[in-house]
Amino acid sequence: MMQWLESIGIRVEHICLQTGVYPMLLLQVIRRLYTPPWFFAHIISQCEKVGVQSLPVVLLTAIFTGMVLALQSWVGFHRFGAESMVATVVSLSMVRELGPVLVGLMVAGRVGASFAAELGTMRVSEQIDALWTLSTDPIRYLIIPRIIAATLMMPLLVILADAIGIFGGYLVSVLMLEQNSQVYIERATLFLKLQDLYSGLLKAVVFGGIIGLVSCAEGFYCKGGAQGVGQATTRAVVISAMSILISDYFLTIWIFQ
Amino acid sequence: MNKAKIEVRHLSKQFDGKSILNNVNLKVFPGESHIVVGLSGTGKSVLLKCILGLLQADSGEVLVDGEEWCCLSEREKLQRMRCIGVVFQGAALFDSLPVWENVAFVLRRQGMGEEEARLRSQDVLERVGLPDICDKMPGELSGGMSKRVGLARAICHRPKIILYDEPLSGLDPVMSDVITRLMRQLHEEMQVTSLTIAHNMKLVREFGDHVSMLYQGHIHLQTPVSELDSQHDPIFRQFIEGRADGPLNINQPQGI
Repeated sequence: MMQWLESIGIRVEHICLQTGVYPMLLLQVIRRLYTPPWFFAHIISQCEKVGVQSLPVVLLTAIFTGMVLALQSWVGFHRFGAESMVATVVSLSMVRELGPVLVGLMVAGRVGASFAAELGTMRVSEQIDALWTLSTDPIRYLIIPRIIAATLMMPLLVILADAIGIFGGYLVSVLMLEQNSQVYIERATLFLKLQDLYSGLLKAVVFGGIIGLVSCAEGFYCKGGAQGVGQATTRAVVISAMSILISDYFLTIWIFQ
Repeated sequence: MNKAKIEVRHLSKQFDGKSILNNVNLKVFPGESHIVVGLSGTGKSVLLKCILGLLQADSGEVLVDGEEWCCLSEREKLQRMRCIGVVFQGAALFDSLPVWENVAFVLRRQGMGEEEARLRSQDVLERVGLPDICDKMPGELSGGMSKRVGLARAICHRPKIILYDEPLSGLDPVMSDVITRLMRQLHEEMQVTSLTIAHNMKLVREFGDHVSMLYQGHIHLQTPVSELDSQHDPIFRQFIEGRADGPLNINQPQGI
């Protein structure tokens, strides 16, 4: 019985230590945000990595999601003759939900893994220690630019993904399902409110912050050699993806209120 | 007597309840080349990391130039790091930067222009015998070249103290000799204080002024290198002679 309790205690302690690094790192980041140096060049180069280099995968995901969504919703609406609502469903789903969540998951897979692997390799090869000995704060130099880049670039990627997703729906509706082009464009925008766009962008900002923080923390505090880097990378992607889905639910509740 | 440049007082450090450093005391005087030797896994690199503030000691003090480092804020420590150069075991060059930017990293951070920093790094690279590799990436360098670039990076901002973490590990005997001579030459030309972690006795004899042996978490013995051969301590003798048999507590396979 005691052994069983002890093993539970060890697991709880491990989980607390594991999850405790995120708020601790966030605090350290916030504390440093108000004082120089800020490494603007690094922020821009990270924005290029997160934003520009993620474009192909994000846009490809968005266009096929829009196309599938149009096909699936057409099947449903066709049963009671409301095919013209396909455009509304595609645009609302993309802007409010699918755009931010799918882009978040794609960026978590691509950028989160890259952040964790890069920082983890730097940790195990003592490059992070070397930064410290070269009078450079590793959190300012490595982590803050990455978190800022992920937070800034996510909404921009989501805007493009929303547009391309709706365009994907247009292609299927107009070219395949022979809907009227004018009707699609009109229905896609008619029921779309600015608040829908804002809620999607708010989610994108939060997801970007989560991806940046989780992936950087996993890489930065990585232990062990190549195996440790591999585990950190896997954890970064899995925890980021799960956090995106969980926080999406709570953000949606909050936005509805 | 001179004030110690680096002083470690009663330093202790544990990992998962296992004591690695236990009441370590060490003094390194200005201009001296002090070498800490010991078996693998005795905590030599941990000691170096505690001195640099990369690891937080459980107890004890580290004084650099008479100033207590443990009490300084992170910002103050980073400022004071400018007087220290560190050569890492695996060189720890930044993969994403070309050699010249690695070497001139601190200078660039201090606001030096690209052209001037590049020239300065070229000068330093020539000093370590690598004149034409400014634009190469660290991945293109051999082990010996990486070590020398690491050395160039450590001295580029003209520090007063240089710390070496096993500078000859993974090098062939010829390259080891090249690096040892380079270290000696730089030590004398720059009049720096050096603290080296090593287990290579050739390096100790050719580069060291004083040697300390770390054993079972504390400094077992300290001696000037000139008196190395007159030491009769059996543990120390076994170590410098590199014998498997003797009083040193080592885990060796049965039957050997």
